[in-house]
Amino acid sequence: MSVTNVEFLFFLPAVFLLYWLGPRHRIYQNSILLAASYLFFGSWHWHLLALIIAGTWLDYFISHQFTKASMPAARRRWLLTISLLFSLGSLCFFKYSGFFAAAANDALQSIGIEQALPVLKLLLPLGISYWTLQRVGYMLDTYWRRLEPAGSLLDFSLFVCFFGQLAAGPISRGSELLPQLQSARRLTAQWLTTGCFAFLLGYTLKAFVGEVLGESLVARAFASPENYSSLYLWLGVLAFAGQVFSDFAGYSLMAIGTARLFAIELPQNFNAPFISRSLPELWRRWHITLNRWLFEYIFTPLTTSRGWFRSRLDIGLLLVFAASGLWHGAAWTYVCWGLMHGVGMVVQRNWDVLYRGWCRGNRAFVTLRKSLVYSLASWLLTIGFFVLTLVPFRASDIQVAFTYFYGLFTFSGADKLDISPLVILSFGFIAAMHIVELAPLNAVKDYYHRIPPLVRGLAYGFAVALLILVVPFSKGTFIYQQF
Amino acid sequence: MTENEKLRKLVVDWLDDNYHFGDAESMIDGDDEKSFLQSGILDSLGFVSLVLFLENNCHVAIDRARLSPENFDSLGKIIRFVVPMSGFHITSEALGLVHE
Repeated sequence: MSVTNVEFLFFLPAVFLLYWLGPRHRIYQNSILLAASYLFFGSWHWHLLALIIAGTWLDYFISHQFTKASMPAARRRWLLTISLLFSLGSLCFFKYSGFFAAAANDALQSIGIEQALPVLKLLLPLGISYWTLQRVGYMLDTYWRRLEPAGSLLDFSLFVCFFGQLAAGPISRGSELLPQLQSARRLTAQWLTTGCFAFLLGYTLKAFVGEVLGESLVARAFASPENYSSLYLWLGVLAFAGQVFSDFAGYSLMAIGTARLFAIELPQNFNAPFISRSLPELWRRWHITLNRWLFEYIFTPLTTSRGWFRSRLDIGLLLVFAASGLWHGAAWTYVCWGLMHGVGMVVQRNWDVLYRGWCRGNRAFVTLRKSLVYSLASWLLTIGFFVLTLVPFRASDIQVAFTYFYGLFTFSGADKLDISPLVILSFGFIAAMHIVELAPLNAVKDYYHRIPPLVRGLAYGFAVALLILVVPFSKGTFIYQQF
Repeated sequence: MTENEKLRKLVVDWLDDNYHFGDAESMIDGDDEKSFLQSGILDSLGFVSLVLFLENNCHVAIDRARLSPENFDSLGKIIRFVVPMSGFHITSEALGLVHE
C-alpha cells in the first residue's frame, strides 16, 4: 500500500475514525497509530517487521542506559557503537551490499579474477533510509544528553515508524516529535483544515504535476538523449527538476497533512527551493530535514572537533555531500551527483570568502552584492547548476549522463516540440507555488487565508473532482521512496 | 561595557563582516531572541564558522555534545551559553578584529 493507492483512501479514514472515536488517551491513540503503522509497513513486507521492531527495542533499551550517571564513558561508547552497528549495518546490508560487491567484482575482474563475490539483490525495507537516520539522530541526541530518552516503548515505537512519514520522511528530531507523542491529542478545526489542505496540495503535486512532467518530457528525453535536439533536452531536464520537486515535496506535504489529521505536526521539508540564490540557501530549502541531519550529525561534529578535521570546512562539505549522494542510492550516478554538489558548495564558500575580502576593501562591492543584477545572476547560476546536476541523478548510468550532457551543449537539432497545455499548467503550478513565497507577494497567502471557509471548501471539492477525472489511481511510485 | 555587551558586539560585528555587510543589527531588529536559522541570519555552515570563531576569540572550549540550536540559535542564547563558561574573556583586540 502506498499513500497514492486507492487502498489508502480507505485505510486513512478508517484509522482516523478509530483514533478519534475512541478514548482521548495517549496510550489508546498511540496504540492505534502504531498498529496502523505496522499494518502499513507489513503491507509491503511482513517478514521484515522483525527488523524494525528489533531495532526499535534495542535503541529504546540503550537510550535508557545512557541516563545512568554511574556508567563509565567507555561503556556508554560501546553501547552507542552497538546501536549504530545495528542500524547503519542493516542499512548497508540491504541497500549497499550489492553495490559494493559489484564494485569489488569489477575491480577484481580487472586483475583477472572472475565473479569473486556474490551480488545480492535484496528487497529494500520500506523507508529504511529515513527511519534509520531518525533513529540514529535520536541515539546521538540521547548519548550527548541533549534529549531525554522516550518515556515509553510505545511512544518510541511510534516515533520510529509513524505511517505518515514512514516511506519517505520528513526525518524528525526526537525533540520535535516525541513531546507530541507523550500526551493525548485533541482534534480542532485548525488541525483538520490545515491537514486537508496540505494533503490535497501534496497529492496534486505528486499525482498530477509530477506525473504530467515525467510522462510528457522526462521519460522520453532520458531514454534516448541522442535522438533529441538540445532544446528538447533542456526542456527534459527542467521538467525533471519540476518532477522530482513535485514528487518529493508532494509526498512530504501529504505526510505533513496526514500527521495533522492526527493532531501531530511534522517538520517542513521543502520551502520554495527554486527561488534560492546560492547553494547553501538551496540546501536550506530542499529536503530540509535530510540536510540539517547531515550538517548536525556529520559536518558540525567533524569540523568543530579537536582532531584533524577541525576548521577543514571544504573537506567536511565534500564528505557530507558524498554521503548525501550515497544515501540517495547505491549507484555511481548518485555518488557523482553528490560530489558535484560538494564541489559546488566548496566553490561557493570560497567565492564568499573572497568576495567578503573585496567588500572590506571597497564598499562598492557591498552595494553590488545587494543589487538586483547580483541577485538575478546568483539565482541563474544556482538554479542552472542544480538543474544540470540532475542529469546524472536521473540518468540510468554514467554513459547516458555523458550523452545527455553532450546533447545539451552541442545546440543541435530542431525537432518539433510537442508541449501540451497540461505541461504548461504543471510548470505554471510550480512557478506559482514559488512566486507566492517571494517577500513582496507574501500578502497573497494572507489574503487566501481570509477567504470564507465555504468558498475554500468548494475550491477544494472542485480540485478533488478535477483530480479524480484526470489522474488514475495508483499511478507511478514515489521517486524518493526508492531511496 | 559588560561581558554580555562585549560578546553581543563581537557576534554582531562578525555577522556584519561575514554575512550581512552592515545589515546584521537591522535583521536582528531589536529582538535578541530571534532565531538565526529561521530568520536566515545564519545557516548551518555559518553556525560552524561562528563556533570556531568564538572558541578562538573568547578563550572557551565548547563541549561538542552541547553544540545545538538550543544553545546557538539567537544572540540571547549564545550570550547565556558562552559568557558563564570557565575561562571566558574577550580581549579588546578581538573586538576590533572580527575577520574569520
